[in-house]
Amino acid sequence: MEFDLEDPLVSLEEEQTFTISELFASESEHVPSPNCLTSTHFRVFCCEAISLILQVQVSCKLDPFVAYLAINYLHRFMSSQEIPQGKPWFLRLVVISCLSLASKMKNTTLSFLVIQKEGCYFKAQSIQRMELLILGALKWRMRSITPFSFLHFFISLAEIKDQSLKQALKSRASEIIFNAQNDIKLLEYKPSTVAATALIFASHELFPQQYSILRASITASEYLDGETLSKCFDLMQDMMRMEAKELMIDTSFLSTETPVSMLERNTKRQRI
Amino acid sequence: MEKYEKLEKVGEGTYGKVYKAREKASGSLVALKKTRLEMDEEGVPPTALREVSLLQLLSQSIYIVRLLSVEHVDKVPKSQKSSSNPLTKPILYLVFEYLDTDLKKFIDSHRKGPNPRPLPPPLIQSFLFQLCKGVAHCHSHGVLHRDLKPQNLLLDQHKGILKIADLGLGRAFTVPLKSYTHEIVTLWYRAPEVLLGSTHYSTGVDIWSVGCIFAEMVRRQALFPGDSEFQQLIHIFKMLGTPTEENWPGVTSLRDWHVYPRWEPQSLAKNVPSLGPDGVDLLSKMLKYNPSERISAKAALDHPYFDSLDKSQF
Repeated sequence: MEFDLEDPLVSLEEEQTFTISELFASESEHVPSPNCLTSTHFRVFCCEAISLILQVQVSCKLDPFVAYLAINYLHRFMSSQEIPQGKPWFLRLVVISCLSLASKMKNTTLSFLVIQKEGCYFKAQSIQRMELLILGALKWRMRSITPFSFLHFFISLAEIKDQSLKQALKSRASEIIFNAQNDIKLLEYKPSTVAATALIFASHELFPQQYSILRASITASEYLDGETLSKCFDLMQDMMRMEAKELMIDTSFLSTETPVSMLERNTKRQRI
Repeated sequence: MEKYEKLEKVGEGTYGKVYKAREKASGSLVALKKTRLEMDEEGVPPTALREVSLLQLLSQSIYIVRLLSVEHVDKVPKSQKSSSNPLTKPILYLVFEYLDTDLKKFIDSHRKGPNPRPLPPPLIQSFLFQLCKGVAHCHSHGVLHRDLKPQNLLLDQHKGILKIADLGLGRAFTVPLKSYTHEIVTLWYRAPEVLLGSTHYSTGVDIWSVGCIFAEMVRRQALFPGDSEFQQLIHIFKMLGTPTEENWPGVTSLRDWHVYPRWEPQSLAKNVPSLGPDGVDLLSKMLKYNPSERISAKAALDHPYFDSLDKSQF
């Protein structure tokens, strides 16, 4: 069967309600162990590794879900390991192995050679060993439960009838989740909490008139803790502000006149 | 693997050896299923990765045999030991909870031996309910078992628990198929659409198997004991009547369909004489020819046959 990141537990639509509680019960097994989040080494290592994964995503035109899954494996693996010092090759090997495992779970064709076209080359044997090491650390739980797994459920709580509206909401929430993967702080929160928060933001942006209804139905869910949701909301709000701020800087740059154009204008004026 | 002490070999599945072992730290018994990963230049095979991950997930249900951990051991082939760059052949041990008997042994112990006796009806009810729960769990994840039979249903006799085993692994691991004369590939629980060569089968194939197992618990002998695919079909057709385009649209177009004698259906109740009307009704819904008409595992859980069962224990 095909592994769908949005529905790691469910393939048959009519069986949805049968496994929802199971989905919530299992999600804690697919997040990094909590004590690593305070480690500076962990944060630095993961930031660099994520950057590398996203580079490969762009250069190899990977499905963003493959990159997302690889980052999930990375976080879970590195949170269970000592961060090695003075071994720069280790980071690359972990990245390649996580991408390889993620692409296999998603049934994407992605050979070792393609991943490694930039940078140093590892033997297949080394990657094989690292793959097995990662699998052991993750207890072969590779069908990760991520925020995407919960979107359908939370959207269904709001009882939105318009299909295109639901799809737009899901797309925007997914985009928010993809953008959020850079921020290590979000790892403190369960995937379901991240999903709920992303949906609340998406609904506020896209459908302000529906916002209060959707927010009320999501926060009423027995599976979510209101206080935790509120904190996650604040964090994501800060992230969204940073995102908007960066966008403004980019935009304002376009209106700035360069010294060359200033000089040209002065020259013209003098000539007249 | 130092964590475990092998006690005895207890089986040889289609994909590798099975050992009874003890976990040294806790003293608890486990079943070790040994298999080999076929590595190539691209590392861990995708099929093995997906199957083990799926098994890891599915076995969280109490009605599926629990996968406790996955251990791998690197083994260097003897011919390469002197080589400076040996390509290792990892061996995987899937570590499952150990259960000491299965439904086949249990039924046999009630059929022959010093004290032949029927299985108590409440126990049949309980086992069938748990089986339907486990199958519903698999199907809700889009997974077919495809080889349900009494040997694959493990029992904790003391607690009255039934668990499904041998999920999916035959597809993930490429091990040369060894044929043992003492271990015949059983056809007795195979759905007619599979026997007739359909390649687009679905959840109904498992429901058919459940129906055969249900009848076998009642009768203490197999319902359709064929020893070839043709004989298997004959057994089915003689009891349920030869299928027609009326009761199974499309049946005559299946790849392995031939002209068969026109048998009339026999009374199903007569073949399970100690089963009450509700049980016969449920069984008949499980043994519908048309797969799309077969009851689902989930719907079976709500059938009146289970009304007298105390469901709060599950």
